[in-house]
Amino acid sequence: MSNDQLEKSLLAHMYGGLKSPGGITISLTIVGALLATVDKGSYIIVTAIVTGGMWALMAMGLALVFGVMNIPNFAHGDFFMIGALVAYFVFTPLSNYVSQHSSPLWVALVPFLAIFMAAGAGAVAGILSELFVFRPLRKRSKEQWVMNSFVLTVGLSTVLINGHQVFLGTDFRGIVSYWPYPSIPFFGFYISFDRFLIFLLALAIMLGFWGFMKFSSKGRAIRAVSQDETGALLVGVHLNTIQTLTLALGSGLAALAGASLLFMFPAYPTVGLGPLYNSFFVIVVVGLGNVGGAVAGGFIVALLQVLTTVYVGEGWGYVVPSVVIVAILLFKPSGIFGSEVRGVLDQ
Amino acid sequence: MMGETRENRKTNIIHRISDLLCVTPIGLFGVILLAALPFIPPFNQEYMIRWLIVGIFVAAQAVAFDFTSGYINIVNFGFCAFVGVGAYTSAILAVKLGLSPWIGMFAGILPAALVGFLTGVLTLRLRGIFAAIMAWFIGLALMGLTTKMVFLTEGPLGLNCPALMRTKSNMPYFYIILIMFLITYIVLKRVVRSPMGIAFKAIGQNMEAARTSGINPTRYRIINFTLSCAFAGWLGGFYAHYYGILMPDMMHTSKTVEVLVVVYIGGRSTLWGGAFAAIPFICATEMIRSSFSDIPGVNLILYGLFLMAIMIYYPGGIAQLYSTLLERLQSPIVRRLGIGKLGSYSG
Repeated sequence: MSNDQLEKSLLAHMYGGLKSPGGITISLTIVGALLATVDKGSYIIVTAIVTGGMWALMAMGLALVFGVMNIPNFAHGDFFMIGALVAYFVFTPLSNYVSQHSSPLWVALVPFLAIFMAAGAGAVAGILSELFVFRPLRKRSKEQWVMNSFVLTVGLSTVLINGHQVFLGTDFRGIVSYWPYPSIPFFGFYISFDRFLIFLLALAIMLGFWGFMKFSSKGRAIRAVSQDETGALLVGVHLNTIQTLTLALGSGLAALAGASLLFMFPAYPTVGLGPLYNSFFVIVVVGLGNVGGAVAGGFIVALLQVLTTVYVGEGWGYVVPSVVIVAILLFKPSGIFGSEVRGVLDQ
Repeated sequence: MMGETRENRKTNIIHRISDLLCVTPIGLFGVILLAALPFIPPFNQEYMIRWLIVGIFVAAQAVAFDFTSGYINIVNFGFCAFVGVGAYTSAILAVKLGLSPWIGMFAGILPAALVGFLTGVLTLRLRGIFAAIMAWFIGLALMGLTTKMVFLTEGPLGLNCPALMRTKSNMPYFYIILIMFLITYIVLKRVVRSPMGIAFKAIGQNMEAARTSGINPTRYRIINFTLSCAFAGWLGGFYAHYYGILMPDMMHTSKTVEVLVVVYIGGRSTLWGGAFAAIPFICATEMIRSSFSDIPGVNLILYGLFLMAIMIYYPGGIAQLYSTLLERLQSPIVRRLGIGKLGSYSG
């Protein structure tokens, strides 16, 4: 193929991609973000991108669990809560200690320690819920699995939220910031160091997650199970291990998001509800179980919410996105990146 | 032989009555017992009657909820938002226009049915979990709207509305909600027993097969949603004028979860299962809540645990327990009382 032809086919491909619903939505999002930025200043686009990174992580976990295990995880927000809680309990004493024996290296590292320990705790919680909640159901019945497991996660969520309330009370446990560094100037306004670093962390985790799914044998096995469970079983994938790993990864991502956003969302029993709604918005917009799409969706939903807060007002943050998403679903019932293939999710 | 015919005639009368009310003779006995309950000693205190009222209110909601989730197999996750629409309509009419609550209660049906109709239309192209999530988003949007439309609803401050009657006693309310519950049950049960109910079940089990057999899923799904939400709105009217204060919280997902738990414990696709489970369940949880009033949330943990246990180990709920018990008890007495043939009544 000559250079010219290649260029033509590439252009055609891009044009085709732009004409697809996903392409249209992404272009509209970018245009909307640019227009709003021109109108109200660059902080809109920056806020959308920074919070979008975390919603993307969170939604990725939800989409992963949905895609591989077909569980619409209503308790996903509660893993967010667990993450925030663990990060608080790890970070507060450690940062007190470190600030007394001041050593700059530790001041920089302790937040990471707290965040990763929280992610680990979330993963453990995920493994436990797989072992004690989902596996018993899977053993007994796979009939109407999607709906039944959804109701099961509703029960799990109720237990976790109220467990927090009973054992730890309804206090807000929050921190002011992770890193005691000054804000960073950015196109005429300041962005807090925490937000900046958390966004970088989100990007790094996304990249690492992508690499894991793409190149490691476990990641390949997870993708195989999400495509065809029986087929994966036939070629020797250990289903139980993969399902446990998937839930651990999914809840670990939620807990990581919760820990990272501790300075925005202090830990309290129902802290996970908002993030849960957001991640459901995301995965419904991009199509349930679409992990890659969840990244784009995270930014789209974040922008939608920022625009709503700026133009409509505080408190409408769930009304307008729900209406927009309902409208999207009307035209693309399986999400903007979803395929029209009807499968297990339609039960 | 002659004696037997007289016996037959006697049972026939019971049968005819119970057929009219769509309950088995045992169910008829249960309803009579329930009506007499406020006079029987441990239940004749005011706080007990209050619990019973809440129990019957949840029972009636459970019937309307099961009408959708158990038959066309779409879990209406925004159910309590529809109850809230009815409640707020009635309350606003009473407060702003001075309409009598007795008329307002029925006026609440209209907007709730309308919103239900719209939800039915919007979820037409969606199935299973997609439709449930869509209904959930609509519920979230409705709750957000109620919170923000302060000029009408007073928002989170709560809307004070007049009571149905000027009495401190709970007794009249008890009979009103009992009658409302019976009407809800009988109307919906009659619909379910008619050919339309078979169509609902066919759609719920396999939409393609139903369509192939000449059933128009569009029509039946919209009818189902509209009816279920109309009753939800009516019950909401009672809620408004019984409690006298309305907050947007009543439309929250956790309230829907409460109804859902009851329906799943009682047994899906029976209508009576949820209603039967509601009263003892609500009384038990209220009792736990009042005896552990220093640690709020204990009753909700039990909710969640109970829901999970039921989903995993006994998905048929009480209804299944009842029918298996009857199968074992194939004694002549059972057969003569006509309770063995549950199938003809349960639809």
